[in-house]
Amino acid sequence: MSKSAQPQQQSIDLTTLPLPQLQAVRQQLDEEITHLTSSYTQLKQAQAKFSACIEALGAVTPDHQDRAILVPLTNSLYVPGKLNNTERVIVDVGTGYYVDKKVEDAKAFYKRKVEFLQGNLDTLQQTIIAKQNNMRVLVEVLQYKMMLARKEAAEQQATQAGSATGTVSA
Amino acid sequence: MSLAALEAKIEKEVTAYNQLQKEYSKIVSGRQTLESQLKENELVQTEFELLDDEATIYKMIGPVLVKQEQAEAKTNVKKRLDFIRSEINRAEKQIKDLDVKLEKKKIELMSLQTEFQKRKEAASA
Repeated sequence: MSKSAQPQQQSIDLTTLPLPQLQAVRQQLDEEITHLTSSYTQLKQAQAKFSACIEALGAVTPDHQDRAILVPLTNSLYVPGKLNNTERVIVDVGTGYYVDKKVEDAKAFYKRKVEFLQGNLDTLQQTIIAKQNNMRVLVEVLQYKMMLARKEAAEQQATQAGSATGTVSA
Repeated sequence: MSLAALEAKIEKEVTAYNQLQKEYSKIVSGRQTLESQLKENELVQTEFELLDDEATIYKMIGPVLVKQEQAEAKTNVKKRLDFIRSEINRAEKQIKDLDVKLEKKKIELMSLQTEFQKRKEAASA
């Protein structure tokens, strides 16, 4: 979230910049946008994981006490087991710490995480939209400038051609 | 100084400059890692604040979970946060120093290059 301080400095008049510089700015903006959107997807994935945890906790209820379950040892290897405590679960809170929590508290924990990420996602989305707006304006200016340059080149060629034919006819 | 010697000097300065730049990006990425560690530890700390007094905390050591006293876990995280913050300060200082060094080197290089250009023109004239 270190990028959030930037929008303020974006107040340079784009039309005063020469073409190569505009192209450089465009490349930089492009990189920023790809970086931010990939961060966005990563955050979304993390959020989905926490939501999945909440869902999984929904299955840990007293009426599932002593039910036979399959415990995953790896993605494809399971061993049979029995749920003998449906009251408490152990939650990974980060940096190698795990906390013994009641199921309800664990759900609240994951809900907090989801909300925290949602807040980040919202600010990130605003930044992305602002950057994309900047990009659109930039591309417009760039196209305008390029058109001007082309026109100028064409005019120059025309006057050169004109003077050339002029000498021939003279 | 001869033209060849000047050229050699420029080359040396350029490698020195690139070296500095490499060091700079290394420190900057280290700074980013520290930032994410700081954030993660801060989250753990706020989580610990929300616990009731009898909640049990385990610490993952290798593949096993070892029970740890709440007070001990809390001071551990606090210590880690202090350490990370001081590391961040150190990295910031290094970044600032390197910034100054890089800027100085750049100016040096530019003046060397203009001198080289001038001499070359004078020699060919």
